[in-house]
Amino acid sequence: MDAAKTLPLVEKWSEEFSTIARQGGPGWLQELRSNAAGQFGSAGLPTRRNEEWKYTPVRLLEGLRPTTAPDDGRTVAETHFPQPPLCEDAAVVSIVNGVLSFPLPGMMAGVTLLPLGEAIEKFGKKLQPLFSGVELEGAGRMFSALNTAFLDQGLVVHVDKNTQAGNLLVRWALSGEETVRLGNFRLVILLEQGAKLDFIEQFESASAARGALNVLTQIDLSNEAELSHVRMQDEGDDVVLLTSTSIQQAAASVYQYSGFDLGGGLVRHELHTELAGAGAFAGFDGAFVLDGKRHVDNHISVDHAAPGCSSNQFFRGVLGGSSRGVFNGRALIRPGSDESVVYQSNANLLLSRLAEIDTKPELEIYADEVEASHGATVGQLDESAIFYMRTRGLSDPEARRMLTAAFCHAVSDRLRDAGLSEIISRRLDAAMPGDQPIAAEVSDA
Amino acid sequence: MLEVKNLHATVGGKPILKGLDLSIADGEIHAIMGPNGAGKSTLGNVLAGREGYEVTAGEVIYKGKNLLELEPEERACEGVFMAFQYPVEIPGVNNTYFLRAALNAQRKYRGEPELDSMEFLKRVREKLKILHISDDLMHRAVNEGFSGGEKKRNEIFQMAVLEPSLAILDETDSGLDIDALRLVAKGVNQLRGEDRSMIVVTHYQRLLDYIVPDVVHVLADGKIVASGDAKLALKLEDQGYSWLEQGGIAQLNEEIRT
Repeated sequence: MDAAKTLPLVEKWSEEFSTIARQGGPGWLQELRSNAAGQFGSAGLPTRRNEEWKYTPVRLLEGLRPTTAPDDGRTVAETHFPQPPLCEDAAVVSIVNGVLSFPLPGMMAGVTLLPLGEAIEKFGKKLQPLFSGVELEGAGRMFSALNTAFLDQGLVVHVDKNTQAGNLLVRWALSGEETVRLGNFRLVILLEQGAKLDFIEQFESASAARGALNVLTQIDLSNEAELSHVRMQDEGDDVVLLTSTSIQQAAASVYQYSGFDLGGGLVRHELHTELAGAGAFAGFDGAFVLDGKRHVDNHISVDHAAPGCSSNQFFRGVLGGSSRGVFNGRALIRPGSDESVVYQSNANLLLSRLAEIDTKPELEIYADEVEASHGATVGQLDESAIFYMRTRGLSDPEARRMLTAAFCHAVSDRLRDAGLSEIISRRLDAAMPGDQPIAAEVSDA
Repeated sequence: MLEVKNLHATVGGKPILKGLDLSIADGEIHAIMGPNGAGKSTLGNVLAGREGYEVTAGEVIYKGKNLLELEPEERACEGVFMAFQYPVEIPGVNNTYFLRAALNAQRKYRGEPELDSMEFLKRVREKLKILHISDDLMHRAVNEGFSGGEKKRNEIFQMAVLEPSLAILDETDSGLDIDALRLVAKGVNQLRGEDRSMIVVTHYQRLLDYIVPDVVHVLADGKIVASGDAKLALKLEDQGYSWLEQGGIAQLNEEIRT
């Protein structure tokens, strides 16, 4: 026991891989797992030397030393979820400690929800190339390798051609039990031609929760399919959230992400889409409101690999305390992807001298007739607006709160669902940092 | 209502107000005219409490209180209102929401119950009509994308809703066409009352055709150099400000005395 404690974290996980073997599944899956175990074992944890992880140290994870040993799968108690569901009229799936809860909700005709094992039997031909295609090499991909090595828990959502599937809400939580766990989970969303789904994720654990979630999501959108993906996380200080979402988009498909980060000790969210078919659209909206020692890193990359596609990144951050935000927005326009449209904007408000934002837009254009713009700004609140508001009777803190909230609502106001937009705006308001000692001007790209 | 005595103020270390005296009784409207750089806007900003305007001597007594000791929001809650020469745009903050929050902050300060949105809307409807402000403007962000005239009307509208005791209109006529000027003046005149005083700061006499002041002051080089009735404004319009510097002040005061 003592020896295990002093073992470096990655070696501990490697040892767990060999002692708590994930059995089952076809031969290709078992091979995939052991190959991935080799990858994460040799790569080790990412450090500052990995360009992609330069601003995001994983110290909190090392401190927590979570185990990959699976939870015994006890039933989900409501107490795991401190807040009501974001959406009332949704089919709800609960995943606690990285373990899928049963029963799964009933779905309308044309929509299939399956746990991973059953899904492999039914959609094996689709899943094998998808799973095998995940990049695992190097420390930068270490958590994808870890996720693949322990590939066992998962959910596959499939929507038939031209089916409008409605709202699906996935509630994620760590249970707050004594054992500090790392839950590995694989989520797959497959939309056939013209299919539509509103997918909502809510990450909120019990306040005492300590541990990590490592979720790899793979999305495949056929021609003209539409996925709306709303994600809100309000995790505690001792929660590490490692999520990676990769999307493959066929012609004229639409992916719209709207992410809201209000908490978490260490949060790293990677979003990657490949616009592989002409006329596809990918939109990435996000707001992060951070206080205390929180660290949230949003890493977005869009690969324009077909002509006439458009992508949009619109992120806003508010940072107080000694929190730290990272925004990395990359767009690659490959040769031949002519007439692409790319917008990128990241504006941030720093409310404390100790808060830090690292924002990096990266635009690489190798095609013709591309319409592109990008901008990143870091500012403080507009003092002339604050004075104006005070002359009308609002106190200085009230005026600042109102301006800061308005700054974030620019993101939540863009949500199509008015009810959800309202709920999330109120959650953003509630998350506003308490300290607001400095000011100057809000600039926008 | 307001007693300003020997007020000296600097902006960025530069003296602007150099011993200004002003006494305004309840219900009076005082116009302050003067050339560029005389200190007209500085007076407004000092009274509203803007940072960067340092009072180096003198005092301002408002309703028996030392106004200069109060924070800008306390002054607002005590009934001081400034209509800005350049109203500030506040992206993302809804005009109605903002005004209700402001009104309720003032009511709370005075120990009055806050208004819910229905009560508030009832209160604003009528005032919108007087100033010809469309509902649409109320649903937009504060001053964002408003035309110059809309911004000025929005200032007077805020004043109508907040019902201050002392209003300072800082060049409210600048940038207004004649129709907008009439609307604004109409809104202001509706608010005239025994317990409401106003300071109307302007370059031009034109506004005073519509808002007839009780007293007109001429501000030059940081001091009130002449005071009189509405006819003084006409005289200034006729002669121009440069005339003041060329011995006009003495002549003016002579005329006022006789």
